[in-house]
Amino acid sequence: MTRRMLAAVVALVGLFVALYLALYKAGVIGTLACGTGSCETVQLSRWATFMGLPVAAWGAGYYAFILGLVLASLQDRWAYSRRLSLALLVVTTWGVIFSAWLTYLELFVIHAICRWCVVSACLAVVLWVLALLDWRAQARLTDL
Amino acid sequence: MGKDRVGAGGGRRQGQGVVKSRGGSGASGGGKRWFYILLVLLLVFGITALSYMASRPKQTVSQIDSTIPPVPNQGHVVGSDSAPVEVVEFADFECPACGSFATLTEPDVRKRLVNTGLVRFRFMDFPLSMHRNTWPAHRAAWCAAEQNKFWEMHDILFFNQDRWNGEATSRPDRVIAELARPLGLDMDLFNSCVGARKYDAQIRANVDEGMRRQVQSTPTFVIGNKKVTTAVSYDEFKRYVDDALAASRTTTKVK
Repeated sequence: MTRRMLAAVVALVGLFVALYLALYKAGVIGTLACGTGSCETVQLSRWATFMGLPVAAWGAGYYAFILGLVLASLQDRWAYSRRLSLALLVVTTWGVIFSAWLTYLELFVIHAICRWCVVSACLAVVLWVLALLDWRAQARLTDL
Repeated sequence: MGKDRVGAGGGRRQGQGVVKSRGGSGASGGGKRWFYILLVLLLVFGITALSYMASRPKQTVSQIDSTIPPVPNQGHVVGSDSAPVEVVEFADFECPACGSFATLTEPDVRKRLVNTGLVRFRFMDFPLSMHRNTWPAHRAAWCAAEQNKFWEMHDILFFNQDRWNGEATSRPDRVIAELARPLGLDMDLFNSCVGARKYDAQIRANVDEGMRRQVQSTPTFVIGNKKVTTAVSYDEFKRYVDDALAASRTTTKVK
């Protein structure tokens, strides 16, 4: 399996994690109760909303966008597009920065860790590494 | 197209490796097919899992094992001793779901069920370890109870949760004392009571009672022979009370 295929799989998994959290936030999944574990604390905190939308919804949009980019990069037509590779790197870098900010909030402001948010942060880092490797390979290829 | 590039690249090892990993060669065309199959399978799996979770009946009401003895005379009670139904709530003052029950549903419960003599409502402390400031709040409620102001303090704590909770402050005692001012408590007595952690044993006894009843989340209500583990609306609450009323009437008749 190639890097980009792996990135597509990771993005799809991330999309489902984010969708799960977004549906939870929308009240479709589970109940509003304070149980063991801290997902509720994080999800019900005021930091769970960003620019009027739940953070999880932004996450779902982010992963869907990455998935679209990666699937495009798998098409022969764009297989060697440096621009696409760079776009992937820029977007995933933004994703990592945003995830780092959210993890900081969980650890030092909300004082609660949401396991699914940690999973999402790890996926964002994996995507970034894959995008970086891809971009470097692409740059080397076009230098030839 | 990919092959042309390899040729242009002079067949260098590095270049070939990159192109091969891109899946442009005929050999990995089959790999690509497998990749799409995997992706579709993952998609189907994900959608199935999410729709299962969304459609799953929410397990919020369960029957209580009839061999478990009734909740002992602990905690704080509002309502008539002769009320036919007793509702017990295990709650955490910092829990947002408990806060939403206290602000949205409880006023109606008090007005239409407690004050009419149908329900006796018992509050049991169940502070959860995930909430940083919940213990100071439970202590404050007990110290207000010492001056016969438990329910007033209960309402103040829940209505102003966002002002003293773990997100808002690292000094909850000070904020809560400020919020309690309109109650007209003897503040010296109150502050020394909170500072001395006078009622921690009672709070812990309530937690233990909850543990015995396998309370796993807050709010948890015990209404008749049902355990309800979510912040319900008034209509739903009333339905459980009606069920308990009907059950108590039949048992009385049989007797």
